[in-house]
Amino acid sequence: MQDLLSVIMEPYVFVPLIFPGITVAFLLLLVIIWLERKIAAKVQLRYGPLYVLKPLGGAIQMVADLLRYLFQEPIIPKTVDKLAFIMTPALLFGAAYLPTIAIPVSPTFYAFRNDLSLLIVLALSTLAPIFTVVMGWASNNKFSLIGGVREGYIVVSYEIPMFLSALSMAVLYGSLDLVEIAEAQKGIWGIFLNPVAAITMLVLMYMSTSKFPFEIPEAESEIVAGAYTEYSGILYGLVMGASYVKLYVLSLVFAILFLGGWNPIPGFMANDPLLPGVLLFIKAFIIIVIGAFLRAVYPRFRIDQAMDLGWKTMLPLSIISIFISLVEIMIMGGA
Amino acid sequence: MAVERTIRHIKALATGAKYMLGGHRLTLMYPDDIQEFPDGYRGMIEYDWDTCIKCGLCAMVCPADAMKMYVSKEESEEGKRPVRRPGINYTRCIFCGFCVDICPTNSLKFTKVHDVAFYTFEEQIYPPEKFREGIPKPQYDKEPRKVRAVLDEKRGIRYEPVE
Repeated sequence: MQDLLSVIMEPYVFVPLIFPGITVAFLLLLVIIWLERKIAAKVQLRYGPLYVLKPLGGAIQMVADLLRYLFQEPIIPKTVDKLAFIMTPALLFGAAYLPTIAIPVSPTFYAFRNDLSLLIVLALSTLAPIFTVVMGWASNNKFSLIGGVREGYIVVSYEIPMFLSALSMAVLYGSLDLVEIAEAQKGIWGIFLNPVAAITMLVLMYMSTSKFPFEIPEAESEIVAGAYTEYSGILYGLVMGASYVKLYVLSLVFAILFLGGWNPIPGFMANDPLLPGVLLFIKAFIIIVIGAFLRAVYPRFRIDQAMDLGWKTMLPLSIISIFISLVEIMIMGGA
Repeated sequence: MAVERTIRHIKALATGAKYMLGGHRLTLMYPDDIQEFPDGYRGMIEYDWDTCIKCGLCAMVCPADAMKMYVSKEESEEGKRPVRRPGINYTRCIFCGFCVDICPTNSLKFTKVHDVAFYTFEEQIYPPEKFREGIPKPQYDKEPRKVRAVLDEKRGIRYEPVE
């Protein structure tokens, strides 16, 4: 028992399996989908999920939904490409959660430290959209195909500006190492140094995970469920969870880049992974809740409006944010 | 232009936040609270067997073919000629109230009951003999609170309990 616990507490086991890895991501899924529905209901003067555990306001609604997904028969239509159809949900979920391995939890607690860990996270997070496109093709359904193609359109319009604004922070801190970036924010957080980059990245994060103004690839009222139309049962549960997990990963990156990561943290606590991890999680959680709140406020953009925003507004803004970083380096005299 | 749009976005978010923190809900918690309806509410229809003159106007005016004249067996055998009385089919009824309006002797009346569930399709068809027995009593798990909807200038709709 003691041995098992010590093995689990090893960073290279703990990070992918517990936090920020699969366990916390899964628990977050259960909470955040309920919270999203609850927030939307409050804004629209309704109650939202209520009758599953009424004293807590239906807090375990998602447990009930998960059970339903688990026991529902996953229907595989005859005309689909079977291998691609069955494999993509697992691959999509895996690809969405994969970048967590490179996210540090505290200055000394990480699965591995690399000079390029920011690039690793960003690069791994680009894997997921490919599977959505594959899904759209494999389903042999017009709505799925349109959804897949829309995802492709959205990807080309958010990826470049999002990475430019993330990399502008790397320019500012003079490092691509997430641990170093977070440590560099001991005094002043990145969001105050470069607010343009922060806003750009925030908006594009929501765009990349189909959050509300940009819920274009799975637009319910237009194309049923986009690329996910033919999915049912636990396969659908996986694909639905994937975009939330991706948002969770990107929120962790956002918290490290702009919200100081685990700072402010008293020096003697820095070696213990608990408090820094909790702080990092709370910051990421706030970002996710804001995304859930947007759902209640915004209607869906048309695809051309979203691409307009990506190419004509966010790309110039992200280039401006790089210049802001450069000017600040010049003023402050070196990173 | 860009500034104006940004201001609009901020206004939209502020409105959303205001509602989220406002804590007001328009939902009527239905099985726990039931609404008291105003006079003239068009619910299920009551039939007065004795005052009915069997004119058949209700069946004639019914736009949904819900109200029909059925041959009443006992009376027909008594009188040695077919006697027809109205019956209603709730799978077709649209609660328009034409039959109630047109009835020359006010034998058809609206009740305020609408929340009744049926197990089978046939149960929803009310031939004259069943029609005279009146409407089924709605059944609740526990006794519901009666509320009345009140228009409130600030909050929209409020529900006030009624004695």
